[in-house]
Amino acid sequence: MNLFKAELRRLARRRLSLVFGIIAAAGLLVLAGVFWFTSSKGPTETELAEAQAEADRINGENFEYEDCVDDEDYFETEEYSWIDGEPYYEDMTHEELCADMFGMMTADDLIWTYTFVFADESPLILIGVTIVAGLIMMMLGSSAIGAEWSSGGMANLLLWHPNRLKVWGAKLGAASAVCAAAVIAVLLLAFGLLYVTAAARGEIGDLNSAWWDENLPKFARAGLLSIAMTVLGASLAMLGRHTAISGGIIAGYLIVGDMLVRFAGMAMQMPFSERLSLYTWVSAWIDGRIELQDWSDFNSEYPDIMVITSTEAGLLLGGIVLAFAALATWAFHRRDVS
Amino acid sequence: MPPIIEISGLRKTYSRAFRQPHNALDGLDLEVAAGQVHGFLGPNGSGKTTTLRALLGLIRVDGGTMRIFGEEVPHRLPDVVGRIGAVVESPQFFKHFSGRLTLQLLAESAGVSNTRVEEVLEQVGLRDAAKASVKGYSLGMRQRLAVAQALLKQPQLLILDEPANGLDPAGIHHMRELLQWLAHAQGVTVVVSSHLLSEVQQLCDSMTIVSRGRRIVDGKVADIIAGHGDSSLTVRFPDAASLPEAADALAAAAGSLGEARPVTAAVDRDRLVVRGAPEPAWVTKTLADAGIYLSELRTETKNLESVFLELTGTAPVPGHTVQIGESAVVPQTAPAPVAAGDVTINVESEGAER
Repeated sequence: MNLFKAELRRLARRRLSLVFGIIAAAGLLVLAGVFWFTSSKGPTETELAEAQAEADRINGENFEYEDCVDDEDYFETEEYSWIDGEPYYEDMTHEELCADMFGMMTADDLIWTYTFVFADESPLILIGVTIVAGLIMMMLGSSAIGAEWSSGGMANLLLWHPNRLKVWGAKLGAASAVCAAAVIAVLLLAFGLLYVTAAARGEIGDLNSAWWDENLPKFARAGLLSIAMTVLGASLAMLGRHTAISGGIIAGYLIVGDMLVRFAGMAMQMPFSERLSLYTWVSAWIDGRIELQDWSDFNSEYPDIMVITSTEAGLLLGGIVLAFAALATWAFHRRDVS
Repeated sequence: MPPIIEISGLRKTYSRAFRQPHNALDGLDLEVAAGQVHGFLGPNGSGKTTTLRALLGLIRVDGGTMRIFGEEVPHRLPDVVGRIGAVVESPQFFKHFSGRLTLQLLAESAGVSNTRVEEVLEQVGLRDAAKASVKGYSLGMRQRLAVAQALLKQPQLLILDEPANGLDPAGIHHMRELLQWLAHAQGVTVVVSSHLLSEVQQLCDSMTIVSRGRRIVDGKVADIIAGHGDSSLTVRFPDAASLPEAADALAAAAGSLGEARPVTAAVDRDRLVVRGAPEPAWVTKTLADAGIYLSELRTETKNLESVFLELTGTAPVPGHTVQIGESAVVPQTAPAPVAAGDVTINVESEGAER
C-alpha cells in the first residue's frame, strides 16, 4: 500500500501531469467558450425587424416575383403545366407558389441563429471529451513508465522493492486510479461547463430518466475505455522501455495500421470488412451496438447485417489490453535491468 | 560469524547476435565478512557491476549461488532488502524532482519516516540543496544523493558502486570518514566497488580483486599488499659504470645466504634494483666490502595500485594500450575459504593474454 501511495504521489508530482491538467482544463474552457459565443436563445425583436426589412428590400428588387404576384394566370401556361400533378404545390396559394418559384426571402433566410441544446448535443461531446482525456492519460501512463526506465528510476526502485510484480502492480494500479479520477473530474467539469453554457446561452432540454438511462452507460463505457487505454499505454512503455515506443506504436496503428488492415480486408473482398477496424469495435463498445451492412450480394434487395454488441466489443478490446498487459508483466519479470 | 555476503560459482553469459557469447561472470566467488569495509576491485569489464546487479536482483544469472545475511538471493531478497542499502553504477534520478522529494518518495514507498530523509540529507551534506531539482545537481551532488538514498533504510549492509565518483576532495574525505564510521562504529558492512585504488587502500579493511568474471585474490588489504611480491631496494651510485660491478658483488654475496633467500640484483637504466635482500644494511655492507660506495639507497614499498596492475595484468606497456577485456586469466579452481589474515591468490599466470 505504501508503494501504491508513493506511486500515486509520484504521478501527481510529475511536471507532465501538471501540464496535461492545465491543457485539459484549458481545452474544456475553450470548448465551453465556443458554445457560449456561438449559441443563442434566438434572435431579438430588433434583429428580426432588421432582417425582415432587408428581406423586403431584396424582394422589392425581385421583378420576376412581383410579375408573378401581379399575374393570377402566371402558371396557367404550358411551361408550368407540370405543377398541377405535384402534391407539394397542391395546397399553396398563388403568392406562396410565386415565393417558392422565385425565391422570395424571409427574415429567417437572413438571420442565422444556433441554439445549443444540452440534452441533444452534450452526450456526443462528453463521450468525445472522455476519450480525449483517456488519450491524455494513456500518454501520461506510458510516460510514467517510460521515464522511469530512461531516467534510471526503475533500477533505483527495484533496489528498494525487488518484487517486480508488486512494483508493476503498484505502477499500473496507480496509473489506472489516476486515470479514473482524472476522467471523472474531466467529465464532471465538462458536464458542468456545458450545462451552465446551455442554461445561459441555449436550452437545457429534457434531462429525464430516459436520457440518463441512455447516456449514463455510454459515459461509463467511455470511462472504462480510457482506463484500458492507460493500461495499454503503460504496458507498451514497459515492453519498449521508452515512452516514445508506446506512443509510436499506438499512433502508428491508429493512423496507418488500421487503414492498411481495412484496405487488406476490402482487397480480399471480405464481407463486413469494417470489422477489421479498431474504430468499429470502439464505436460498438461506446454506443452499445453497431450494425454493419454487406451489399456484396447483388441479387438481394437487402444487405446482410452483422451486429456487434458492446459485450462482444468489450471482450475483444479487453482481450487486447489484457494480452499486452500480460506480455509486459512477463517481460518485466524476466528481463535484466541495466 | 558467517559472512554477510557469500557468492559461489556465479555465472552470467550475455548472448550476442553473430558473435561469441560473452561470459561476464565466469564462476565468480566472493565472501564479505561482517562489520568491514570491503573493496571490490577489478579492471573495466571484469564483472564488478554485473556481480552487484546480480546480487541485488536486477539481472538474472546463469549459475552459481548467492546469499546475503544467510538468505539465498534473489529468491529471498524481498526478506532481506530492508537491511540493504545500495547504489549501483552512476546514480540516475528523475531530473525534475527535488533531492528531498526523490528521497521522500522512496521513503514513503518503504514506510520510512520523513525525519529520516532530513537526517540523511544532513549526513551527506545536501541539506541546503535539497529543495533544488536534481537536474541542477552536479555529478558529485547526485552521488551524494545516491548515497543518501542508500542510507535511508539505516541498512546493515551498504553496497556502493564507485561512491567517490565525481566527488571533490572534501567530498571524498567526508565519504571515507562516513563509511568507516558506519562500518566500525555502527557495525554496518560496507562493500565498495571502486577504481580509486589509493582511496580503497585508505578506506577498506579487506578486498576482492576480480578479472574476467573470476576472483583473483581476496583477503585483508594490508595482507594482500604485503604478501604479494616483495619489496625492493633501489641503489644508485655516483658513477653509473659501477652498476655491473655492484650487481656482480651482490650476486656473489647472495650465494652465501643459501637458496632459502634468493637475492636478485638487476640493472635498470641508472639504478640497481635489488630484491630478496635480508635488509638494506646487508646491501651497504656487501658493496662497501667490494669497495663500491653508493650515493642513494631507497626501499620501494609496493602499493595497491602496483599489486592491482600486476595481478590483473593491466600494467601499462610502452607502446601498447591495454584494451577492455585484456586482463589476467584466472584458473577455474575453487579457492580456499578466506579466514582472517589469509590471502587467497588464484592467478595462474600473471600478465594479460596479448
